[in-house]
Amino acid sequence: MRKANRWGKWIVFAVAAMFVFSATAARAQTVLTLWSHWADHDSKRAFVEGAARTFEKANSGVTVKVSWYEKQALHAALKTALLAGQGPDIFYAEPNQSEYVENNLLYDLSKALNWNNIEPWAKLGWTYKGGVYGLPLEAWTVEMYYNKKMLADLGIKLPAGMQFSQAEFLDVVKKTRAAGITPISLGVGDRDFPGAFLTHEALLKKLGYDDYDKLLHGTLSWSDPRVREALVSVKQVIDAQGLPSSFSTLKLGESHFYFHTKPGSLMFLMGSFYPSRAFNPPDKGGQPPDFQLGLMHYPAVDKGACNECKTITIGGSYVVNASSKNAALAGKFLNSMATPEMGNKWLEDVLVQTGIKADPAKISGPYAGYFRELAQINDKCKFYPERPVGVMTGKAKEVFTQVINNAFPAGLLTVDQVIEKMNAAK
Amino acid sequence: MREAASTISKPVLPPVDPSEWTSTSMSPVHASAMKAPMQGSRDLSRPMGAIVGFLLPALTIYVAFTAYPVVRTLYNSLQHVRPARSDVYVGLENYIGLWGDEFFWKAVTNTLAWAATAPVFEQMLAILLALALYARIPGARFFRIMWFTPVLMSFVVVGIIWMWIFNYDWGVVNSLLRGVGLDGWARSWLGDPTTALPALIFVTTWMWTGFNMVVLLAALHSLPSEVLEAAELDNCSWMKKLWFVIIPLIRPTIMNLVVLSFVGKMKVFDLVWIMTKGGPLWSTETVSTYVYKRAFEWNTFDLVYPCAIASVWFFIVLAGVLLLSILFRQRGKLEY
Repeated sequence: MRKANRWGKWIVFAVAAMFVFSATAARAQTVLTLWSHWADHDSKRAFVEGAARTFEKANSGVTVKVSWYEKQALHAALKTALLAGQGPDIFYAEPNQSEYVENNLLYDLSKALNWNNIEPWAKLGWTYKGGVYGLPLEAWTVEMYYNKKMLADLGIKLPAGMQFSQAEFLDVVKKTRAAGITPISLGVGDRDFPGAFLTHEALLKKLGYDDYDKLLHGTLSWSDPRVREALVSVKQVIDAQGLPSSFSTLKLGESHFYFHTKPGSLMFLMGSFYPSRAFNPPDKGGQPPDFQLGLMHYPAVDKGACNECKTITIGGSYVVNASSKNAALAGKFLNSMATPEMGNKWLEDVLVQTGIKADPAKISGPYAGYFRELAQINDKCKFYPERPVGVMTGKAKEVFTQVINNAFPAGLLTVDQVIEKMNAAK
Repeated sequence: MREAASTISKPVLPPVDPSEWTSTSMSPVHASAMKAPMQGSRDLSRPMGAIVGFLLPALTIYVAFTAYPVVRTLYNSLQHVRPARSDVYVGLENYIGLWGDEFFWKAVTNTLAWAATAPVFEQMLAILLALALYARIPGARFFRIMWFTPVLMSFVVVGIIWMWIFNYDWGVVNSLLRGVGLDGWARSWLGDPTTALPALIFVTTWMWTGFNMVVLLAALHSLPSEVLEAAELDNCSWMKKLWFVIIPLIRPTIMNLVVLSFVGKMKVFDLVWIMTKGGPLWSTETVSTYVYKRAFEWNTFDLVYPCAIASVWFFIVLAGVLLLSILFRQRGKLEY
């Protein structure tokens, strides 16, 4: 009986010890959950996973658990999870997803991040009614790339300011087409935005920052004479067969290949994420080693209010779930990425711009020259911080995508039809 | 001891009249012998436990993943659902909104056009191919595999292949047209609003004809040879035999295939999403792609309007299936 009592005491002690131990362990182990796009972007995954491991080392008892998704699957999962009052502590979002902020689903990062380390335009992109809601990790500008050798072979000289006038540009397009070469590579086979570059950059330059903003927000009519003039200038390029005949089905990756390899085009109007594909080895879809890549400005439009204006887009960003129990810790993790060192690391490893302040002069490696050239061409630009599909929602976004991204550049619509459809969608 | 053992192994049974046995019951001798050791453990005349045990797993999955989502979709379509806030009942507001939604009607028109034409093309081609195989054309085995293969491919693969085939610059279709001197006919098949939908219908027809062919071939092989031989003895021509004998006999199979194809086309999503995303200018927008766009692409948290579209479409598909069943109903049952 005595022996049984002793055993009983030991069992009670062991159970109590296990309980205390597990409770302590549970308290010590905080798991930050992060749902992110970029499942198939190795360099971006490595960057984020690296930041997570560094944060874990610096904060014992904290684990950052990252779940990688494809963008569409992530959006669908987030919408349903957040609607059900669930969701991760941190998730991937882009500033155009204003529905998150409008429904109070995001934690205000105004005081959580060191905003001195973030580019002002990037902060602006995530500012909404006084709050700032995202760490702008990825950013890109709309750039006009060109093949230096092809331009020289065609006997065309780039002006000193790296920007053709409207008439000069139309001549370049006609001359290139006459030589049997596609002037500008562009395709909308799998994306809802590249086809619109041609039109919205012209509109931005013609109207200037404020009126362009009004146009996208529906407070300026598409019947405005300046809008019509900008559309006419774009229509002239389209009618001069400025774009590939396979524009409607050409996918984003294919349009890169079309530009630098086969069949080859003179220019390529594309986001500055171009290097993430083109700087790969040729057998992985990259540009040929001897390819002479150049950068020029989008052509100036006649009587343009802001010919130095350019669209910059804040792409992949991280936001904190407002209902997260670990919101402050999540903010601390994001702040660990908001340093100039991390900005430079992003540029070097991912080869895409970032909203974190970085110094291209400090970048080394084979593509240092490209990043200096990119920084130089953007030096005096005034940026409009979002694509139209990022500003628009609902019906307006749908019509813009179908009309400006697809049908208008494909030559299916006249300027009057574009104006009529866009006005009807407001 | 020995005596006791023999008493246990040979129970004394009352005499029974064999006429009391029924076809479904065992003999009373067996029944009572069986009943003795099982008494008190299970009543086989009330097998509810077994029924529930077998049905419960399947029923749980059905309720969780089919019945509940359907009911929830119907419920949501009458609400205004917002994140982290309570739902608000809005009655038929979402349904009323559908009447004035031009994109919805465009999507309905396209989907109905697809569902009305593709099953017809598929069945006509499938019958021809099945008859060719039934007649044992040379290389029948090879062709059977070839014609059936597209069904085995995923929509993603099929979509990408056909985007290449329809490519303006180097696609097979335009290359062939240019090769025979019909340069003027070369076009951006998926980029032209007049050809995009027919091109997609063509692709689904290519993809699903093989499946229909295999099912019809099985139906043809199951036809009684006496009936066909009797038709031949009556000097029935090949066409008459097909029209008056074969097709009426395989009519139930054709009807089932038409219904299956119709339902599939009313829900078509994958191929459109990969190849055109509903463009150009909504010429290939289907109800499914529109629901998805409204739910996840319009940058709103409005999941209830798509629920209303899905609910309406559910009943339209149901009505379509019922209508087809009535139209194809056989007046008199054929016997052979």
